[in-house]
Amino acid sequence: MELVNRYIHAVTHRLTGRQREDIKRELQGLIEDMLEERTEGRDASAADVEEVLLELGDPQKLADQYRGYGRYLISPEVFGSYLAVLKIVLLSIGIALTVASAFQMFTDPMDALGHFLDFLASLFMGFIQGFAWVTLAFGLIEYSRAKRIRTGIRAKSAWKPADLPPLPDHRLSIKRSNPIASLILTILLGLLFTSSLNLFGVWHLPESGSMKIVPIFDETVFRGFLPLILAVFALSIMKDILKMAAGKWTPALIGFEILVSLLHFVLALFMFNDSAIWNPDFMRQMAESGITPAGSEAFYNVSSIWSRTTEGFIYLIGIVILADIIAAAVKAYRFRTIVRR
Amino acid sequence: MADFQETINGLIQELRRGTIIISVLSQLSKPQYGYSLVTILQEKGVSIDPGTLYPLLRRLEKQELLESTWDTNETRPRKYYSLSPAGKEVYLQLCKEWKSLSDSLESLIKGDDGNGAG
Repeated sequence: MELVNRYIHAVTHRLTGRQREDIKRELQGLIEDMLEERTEGRDASAADVEEVLLELGDPQKLADQYRGYGRYLISPEVFGSYLAVLKIVLLSIGIALTVASAFQMFTDPMDALGHFLDFLASLFMGFIQGFAWVTLAFGLIEYSRAKRIRTGIRAKSAWKPADLPPLPDHRLSIKRSNPIASLILTILLGLLFTSSLNLFGVWHLPESGSMKIVPIFDETVFRGFLPLILAVFALSIMKDILKMAAGKWTPALIGFEILVSLLHFVLALFMFNDSAIWNPDFMRQMAESGITPAGSEAFYNVSSIWSRTTEGFIYLIGIVILADIIAAAVKAYRFRTIVRR
Repeated sequence: MADFQETINGLIQELRRGTIIISVLSQLSKPQYGYSLVTILQEKGVSIDPGTLYPLLRRLEKQELLESTWDTNETRPRKYYSLSPAGKEVYLQLCKEWKSLSDSLESLIKGDDGNGAG
């Protein structure tokens, strides 16, 4: 009865723990009963077995019925918004990669074909990444939905008209342009940090000779932070996707926004707390490149700007992120006043 | 024409779906196992396929309308279901509702003065 065992396995492996053994035994008995009725004492043939299993139907459906709900990575209820967000994210990735690639072609026009092939390869990888992140975000949403159904929270209390959500308030709605811009910027920065860190620098194109870039960062030190940077960026991308999926501010989203801002700040603190991140030879290279010849007035000006910027940079970042957090806090406050009404 | 027949089949199925629970509860004043219920109901003209019945029995048990015991004395182990006290109460309520529903429908169908197939 190999076919029977395969059928029972096909049903029960989709079910969870406790009920699995019970249902297995029950199905075993049922199928034997059905076979017995059909054969009336003679040995069951393969055709009999097949007929009985056909009558019981698709094991997946049977398992769904036992479980009481279907299982999805992306359920039909959210599939529409999944597709919409997926399109935007892929488009953003396409734009960011195109900009980055155009930039590279511009700075290094000699190797146009190489850059183009790189572009195609990174487009392919970028789309796979985008697909994965969006699917992960929606998968999480789906998981929490299924959990609510499983634990029966949805039937907790009777629905009242007062439970109706307020009409969409424009003060709480998220314009799609906001997460899209943030997404493109994050992807662009991520790309530049990983593959073209040397582009961050002072560019100098002498009348004769090739272009020189005096790097701002110490590449080795900066690279050490890369895994952390990318992790925070990934969270930031996740936040943008969730914002697009929700379309309006919720307390959880505001909390997440603040959390991501704080993580950005902690990361910046790590990176800029100690001045090792800055190119230690910056002024010497500036002088050597001929941008600011040693001893010239420009040299002293740039030198003083450089030392002030590198010391104060963390405060600058702090101010930007503080502004972000204040904006989020204002949203939270608004949310309370709007929802209370 | 095949489409039309499909529509009719679908509607009939929908009509029957609502009567499944009352049919099942009606036969469980004495303990029955799943497949015996299928045959009993079949004999009385109510067909319900095991793939629907077995999960339904579990659901009703979870809702505490049914009680179950495994009988392992026979040739093959079987799970016997029967009405719990709450299930009996629910069954009576459903019967009452069914009678009034069928009376109302009866009068609706009779009152159909020749407009349809009445």
